[in-house]
Amino acid sequence: MSDTVVPPGIGEQAVTEFSRLNSVERLNSVAQALNHNGFHAQSVGTGAEARQIVASLLPEGAEVFNNTSRTLESIGVADDIERSGRYEPLRLRLFGMDREMQAREMRVLAAAPDYVVGSAHAVTAEGSLLIASASGSQLGPIVSGAAHVILVIGGQKVVSDLEAGIRRIYEYSLPLEDLRAREAYGLPSGVNNILIMNKVVAPDRVTAILVHEVLGF
Amino acid sequence: MSLFDYDTRPATPGVVLVDTGTSAEAYRIRDFLSRNGHHYEWIDVADSEQLRSVLGDTAIDLSSLPLCILPDGTRLSPATLEQVAAGLGMVTGPALSEYDLTIVGAGPAGLAAAVYAASEGLQTLVLEAIAPGGQAGTTSMIENYLGFPNGISGSELATRAVAQARRFGAEILLARSLTGVSAEGYGYRAKLSDGTSVLGRTLLLASGVSWRRLDVAGVDELLGAGVYYGAGPSEALGCAGSQVVIVGGGNSAGQAAVRFSRYALRVTILVRGTSLASSMSKYLIDAISGISNIEVRTETQIVELRADNRLREVLVRSLATQDTRSLRCDALFICIGGEPRTDAVADAGLRIDDAGYVQTGRELGAVVELDENWNLPRPPLPLETNLPGVFAAGDVRRGSTKRCAAAVGEGSMSVALVHQRLAEVGGE
Repeated sequence: MSDTVVPPGIGEQAVTEFSRLNSVERLNSVAQALNHNGFHAQSVGTGAEARQIVASLLPEGAEVFNNTSRTLESIGVADDIERSGRYEPLRLRLFGMDREMQAREMRVLAAAPDYVVGSAHAVTAEGSLLIASASGSQLGPIVSGAAHVILVIGGQKVVSDLEAGIRRIYEYSLPLEDLRAREAYGLPSGVNNILIMNKVVAPDRVTAILVHEVLGF
Repeated sequence: MSLFDYDTRPATPGVVLVDTGTSAEAYRIRDFLSRNGHHYEWIDVADSEQLRSVLGDTAIDLSSLPLCILPDGTRLSPATLEQVAAGLGMVTGPALSEYDLTIVGAGPAGLAAAVYAASEGLQTLVLEAIAPGGQAGTTSMIENYLGFPNGISGSELATRAVAQARRFGAEILLARSLTGVSAEGYGYRAKLSDGTSVLGRTLLLASGVSWRRLDVAGVDELLGAGVYYGAGPSEALGCAGSQVVIVGGGNSAGQAAVRFSRYALRVTILVRGTSLASSMSKYLIDAISGISNIEVRTETQIVELRADNRLREVLVRSLATQDTRSLRCDALFICIGGEPRTDAVADAGLRIDDAGYVQTGRELGAVVELDENWNLPRPPLPLETNLPGVFAAGDVRRGSTKRCAAAVGEGSMSVALVHQRLAEVGGE
């Protein structure tokens, strides 16, 4: 650990446990477990491959909401959704709406996009996904509001079990997300909501792409 | 800060606009970006702290404002709306050289026609000078539009209509205006402000109306510096804590008042008539009467604008007593009447009435028999002008009902007439 830079607010133990890239074999095994639980999961080598897969899953003209995600930003998916002109980027549409006069329209639009693209904070060896959120707004669409969910997950996010996943959120993801939120919004973040997805009932509704790269928090 | 400020902030950079807050061109750009759904950050050049946080130590040429920095880093200084639109990739050429139907204007009438025409397999092109939605697009909340019991905002209606039209294959060209129309064979060639042209076998004029100019000295000089035409949705946030004055007694003025009352300290509506009842829908009158920071002054008119580098006060005269009094005014929104947008077709021989509205259908009556442009044995179809195959719908048409739903109805109806015309000339 002596050569590892420890991000502020994170203990060395957490860095050791939660920031290291897992092996391809382990990612393949987790993808298999996710598939067993009803996710449509696969493991890929690079963020570029994941980006291509996301593009192949999103139909031209689809209404897409890209969740706040360092992973999506780092591999170019956020840019594809917001800037390519291929889709109807719901995030931009909502941001431009009148908070006072269009509050109801905004709630309805944000609750049920055709596609939501995001990430997760932890994925267990048994095939469960954990996603934390300060506002909680992204969780409803992931659970049931969106017609399709696509999650791109960095290969450092595999944990042994749910308990380790929750520790990862508090001990590793939160300090980094808090730093980002303070820089971006001037506000602290918080683990105000945690979604645990053990199984997916609707076949192929949720796609999980595990990437053999360190991506996001 | 609302949940949406936090959760919907774009992940990619937007447009940065630096200006003094008193420039007409900067207002055009803000209005254009806002109405086309492009996010932007406006920075007052006097706010050195914010300037530094966004631009670092980058030098700014104060003589070349507004400065506009596009998402790809391109700096436009002084920026024009046309440069910004082109820089954002919004100015694209038509995909075809010829269309079944060219629609001028992407307001409710034009978009309705686009949806129906494209859904019925017609090659359809829509030309829009500013942004989809027309005047209805800037309406804060339409509460009496069929099928939306909780109301729908004009911008949301326009966004949905554009998506619907595009899904059926209609092409919509933004940020360029029509400059002329000339007959070519059975069709019409539409000339655009960027020098390009496109041929349509039929043409629908759905260009709507522009706001009537307020006839008070100094208005033009203060455009963008406290004086705005229309509801100016881009200016709502900037009106926080301000004294807002709205001139006009129609639904647009009422919608603007409701919107700005959410942000402004006080909103004053000035109307020349004795009440709003003859010009505004009752639901809006009821809404306004229930909002404590809106005041309606009837039988009044503005006679003078007082300004330094921007508008500060308006002098208002009572038409009943002739008394005048000044009113503090940080922002003046002019929402009076409308001037039909027919300039571009004035030379094409289109028959318009004294007020500039396009004449159509039965009202052309026997006139067309003497019209050199009318060469058919039949009378004009409903909504057809004195130019065979050129139709008009919505606010620009003489006799139209100035309501969003009526415009949608006319736009939809026009497509059936377009089919008749195309069958007549062997186009389908």
